[in-house]
Amino acid sequence: MQLTLVQGLLLFIVGAICQFDQQTEAFYWFRPMVASFFTGIILGNVELGVTCGAVTELAYLGMTNVGGTVPPDPLFAGIMTVVLAYTTGKTPETALGLSYPFALLAQGIGILFKTVYSFVPHKLDKYAAEADVKHFNGLIWGVTIFEAVFCGFVIFLCTYALQAPIQAFVNSFPTWVTHGLEIAGGVLPAVGLAMLLLSTLKPETYPYLFIGFIMATFLKMPNVLPVAIVGAALAAIDYRYQKRFDECGTAAIDDGGDSDGI
Amino acid sequence: MASNPTNKKGEPLKTLSKKDITQLGINSLTEQIAFSFERMQAPGWTMNMIPGFKKIYGDSKEDLSEFMTYNMEFMNTEPHMATLLQGMVLAMEEKGTDRKLISSVRNGLFGPMAGIGDSLFWYTVLPITAGIACSLAKSGSVLGPLVFIAIYLVVGFSRIWFAHLGYNLGSKAVEKVGTATKYLTGAAGILGTTVIGALIPSYVTVEFQKKLVFGVGSTTVQSVFNQLLPNVLPLATVFLIYWLFKKKHVNTIAVIGGVIVFGLLMSLLNWM
Repeated sequence: MQLTLVQGLLLFIVGAICQFDQQTEAFYWFRPMVASFFTGIILGNVELGVTCGAVTELAYLGMTNVGGTVPPDPLFAGIMTVVLAYTTGKTPETALGLSYPFALLAQGIGILFKTVYSFVPHKLDKYAAEADVKHFNGLIWGVTIFEAVFCGFVIFLCTYALQAPIQAFVNSFPTWVTHGLEIAGGVLPAVGLAMLLLSTLKPETYPYLFIGFIMATFLKMPNVLPVAIVGAALAAIDYRYQKRFDECGTAAIDDGGDSDGI
Repeated sequence: MASNPTNKKGEPLKTLSKKDITQLGINSLTEQIAFSFERMQAPGWTMNMIPGFKKIYGDSKEDLSEFMTYNMEFMNTEPHMATLLQGMVLAMEEKGTDRKLISSVRNGLFGPMAGIGDSLFWYTVLPITAGIACSLAKSGSVLGPLVFIAIYLVVGFSRIWFAHLGYNLGSKAVEKVGTATKYLTGAAGILGTTVIGALIPSYVTVEFQKKLVFGVGSTTVQSVFNQLLPNVLPLATVFLIYWLFKKKHVNTIAVIGGVIVFGLLMSLLNWM
């Protein structure tokens, strides 16, 4: 069965809304369980939407956004599995496999946005310095809504107009470009962390950077909590010594001058 | 410090009402928007707190500019934990705490809090909710998605509770700080730097591909670096960029553009 233009346009709107939710991670409407359900309603086959949602949700359960990574896209997978099951008449399990190129396409789009949007904070820094809230918020909302509408439009193209060409496009896309952006995505957090270090790194805090780095490199930890506890312990030791140091009045070094003390 | 803190125009600070904190919780539903690899959640994180900050500091542009600037630094944590931290930040701002201390607390806590939030929401709430919903939905029952939507409506708005929790924790902590601010700023700086050190290997990936070898023999390039020190490339990259910023005053845009070109080049050469 083919989709009608109205159904395609409705998927555009629902897709954009769910993609906005994906950016916020507020209500989890980007999960296949919900996105497939909405798609089923639009296509007039709720049961198909719900069963496809269950199959796809389980398949994408392990693919999380933890730590700022971008996995194959659960939203596109959720919508396309239902659409493909509907148009081809195949089982949800088979449609899930067919939807994978679309999940990869959306993953690529996600990485592209997060890479290109690395330019946005630079502009925001300027507005922050000027305390220009109007432009600051305006730019944030502008880029957010643009991304949501863009993804909604891609969903419209995938579902209504260009399903077959897009599938062919994803399969023939030069992988070096996507892979190159992936590499850049792995390096870009270094820029943010370097800027953070501009304000935190001082001669007296240098050693602690290496303690944290070595712990994270050589110890198998589920998260950075153990490092934070060690950091807090070191901070507590330093706190006591600094305080005692000043109370004894041994050194005449007061405020400020510590950093260039010889 | 005087007992009654003022803004930079000399006006006394106002306090936030319960309603303001609830509003913060609702605002923080958009904490993650305008996400980018470079600064991650910083834009939404900053935007959410502006209304509360303005209530406390009035129309003091100087304070607002300082506030927005330190909050625009790198931020990435689990969104509910972000709300809790936002509550703490505003509680400390309300008491006129030294911004150096607030920023150190912010930088020291977001990483570890992400660990707590992720294990709670991604690895506990999602599998349980999806498990229940899928078992209902497999047979085509609409109860599956409806239960899922309902649970996540509660999870989403639980940010209101996290905002109040963070604000109360922040206020209590500030009362105890008192005259020790100077020492605490130093201590929080130590905690923050230790955690940033640990974030480098977990967030930054710079790795040559496994098959890349030197001209002769079968020693791979990456194995040489790994034998020297694992993760030495991410560490070196951070320091290189830090150096470019600090000593060469290179523009951020140039650095980001450089990183993208570097990624494409490495991919084209098939080195990474």
